[in-house]
Amino acid sequence: MGYSIDIYLIQAVHGLVYGMLLFLVASGLTLVFGMMGVLNLAHASFYMLGAYFAYTVTLYSGSFWLSLLICPLIVGSLGILIERFLIRRAYKGGHLSQLLLTFGLFFMIGELVRIIWGSSPLSVAAPKILAGDIPFAEMTYPIYRLFIFGFSFLVLLGMALLLMRTRIGIIIRAAVSDSSMVEALGNNVPIVFMGVFGGGSALSALAGVIAAPFLSIHLGMGAEVLLDCFVVIVVGGFGSLLGALIASLMIGELQSFGILWIPRLALIFQFLLMTVVLITRPTGLLGEKE
Amino acid sequence: MSRFPARQLGWGVAVLILFLFPYFLPEIRIHLMIEVLIFALFAIGFNLVFGYGGQLPFGHAALFGVGGYTVALILNHYPGTPLLLVLLIAALLGFMTAIIIGFFCVRLTGAYFALTSLAFQMFLFAVALKWRSLTNGDDGMGVIRPELHLPVLGSISLRSTTNIYYFILILVAIGILACYLFLKTPLGNSVVSVREKDMRASFLGYNVFLVRLTVFSVSGMLVGLAGGLFVFYEEFVATTSIDMNMSMLPVLMTVIGGSGHFLGPVLGAAFYMILQDWMSSVTSYWMVLMGAIFIVIVLFAEGGLISLFKNERVRLWVSRLRSR
Repeated sequence: MGYSIDIYLIQAVHGLVYGMLLFLVASGLTLVFGMMGVLNLAHASFYMLGAYFAYTVTLYSGSFWLSLLICPLIVGSLGILIERFLIRRAYKGGHLSQLLLTFGLFFMIGELVRIIWGSSPLSVAAPKILAGDIPFAEMTYPIYRLFIFGFSFLVLLGMALLLMRTRIGIIIRAAVSDSSMVEALGNNVPIVFMGVFGGGSALSALAGVIAAPFLSIHLGMGAEVLLDCFVVIVVGGFGSLLGALIASLMIGELQSFGILWIPRLALIFQFLLMTVVLITRPTGLLGEKE
Repeated sequence: MSRFPARQLGWGVAVLILFLFPYFLPEIRIHLMIEVLIFALFAIGFNLVFGYGGQLPFGHAALFGVGGYTVALILNHYPGTPLLLVLLIAALLGFMTAIIIGFFCVRLTGAYFALTSLAFQMFLFAVALKWRSLTNGDDGMGVIRPELHLPVLGSISLRSTTNIYYFILILVAIGILACYLFLKTPLGNSVVSVREKDMRASFLGYNVFLVRLTVFSVSGMLVGLAGGLFVFYEEFVATTSIDMNMSMLPVLMTVIGGSGHFLGPVLGAAFYMILQDWMSSVTSYWMVLMGAIFIVIVLFAEGGLISLFKNERVRLWVSRLRSR
């Protein structure tokens, strides 16, 4: 291999950046699954909506920062409405009907996006401060990617503080392990779940917004991230946030180095990883037994 | 018992109508009917795992694609192979692929099962996309539809719409009948008992893993045949036959038609294809409509469209209409 060490460093940072982005999406998915057992396929649609809304908001207001603020709020409220009026009805029907419902939502939101924004790819320019490159390990590195990493890291920190240090966080974590017991202790679990669902949707949209200037905005982006997220939560273990973080970074690095070494098989690596994990450890790296 | 002859008669009329289609439908409708038939077989095979087995396979396009690519590759590389043998190989390869995929999937339930089957489908999709020297990637491969050689009747050209319609109708009917008969066997019955309560079934002495694996592979055989017929009819195969959208189709069709009845998926496939044909020329919003119908059915009418026929109120309404 004729690569210098710098290439490896750059690829490693690429992997970290994508991994953190993936974690923003996967964290909401895994929390919702852990709490209510709903594997929300529509979660990836929220990511896609975030990116498309960012395009529109940036187009009309000219400010990326505004869209970073507004889009997660819009999509988060949308998520709350969807939970309250659609998904809540499907709890009685069991896992299959929930899976089917969110599949229908995923399908429908994808089609609506195609009708509203058209099927050609769109792009959003990164804000001026974050455009350009900085010197990095004898080469240059785009500032925007570093921003993604830093920003996701801040969100991760905020989320960790919320979950580990506040009362609401205790309730959420308890509800992940046994929601009926938490409800029996006098907490309003449906409201908490609605909040987590909304928060997860908002995080997913946030990831969509910050991904918009970095990846192109296109119709397949929902399905792409959905597949990666599946791999993340299966590898990390359903409902485990730390597992999701580790798995996200693993997938990020795997893709990054996979493309460098064996580009033809890059698509396959993550599924190989997922299959291997499922066979050897069906509950994922940090998942608990059912 | 008094309803029995009526039911027999109903079947007879349905088969007769299917056979008479080429005499009163225009050619373009026959092409639509062929697609309905192929996807009906796909959905029936899917529903074997979904409705009867109680597990949601999100990656059945893997088996569909295996059948399709098998037909395309054999017909391109060994053009002399008898057609029925080619389709048989497609079905068998679907069966064997399903054994391999099922071996890893059927131990799992719920979302785990759905995701793992999806992972295998994406894996095969990636192979079909990247192994360009074999599959020609996303550009796809053309296939020339061969003639059908039969021992007594001699060779039959399948170029005419009517001939290919009959050919596919007969093969799909055989597939669906085989599936029906499979469900009537004790093994077929045990599928349902495993779905209802796998632990109880295992206490009764059923090998839950083996029952699930069997139903998954029989499903794979039907789906492989459907994929083979699809490619053979379209005379083209590309990664669209093995991608995620193709995996979603039987889910939509089966749920809309109704997974609780043997013929629900057939109704769903017919509804989906006919609505697609009718609406896509009028508006591009039809997929949204389809999604909305799907969501409404999941939330409010779990039996799907076919349960309308069982609904007392609807039945009363129909009988009143008839007596008028």
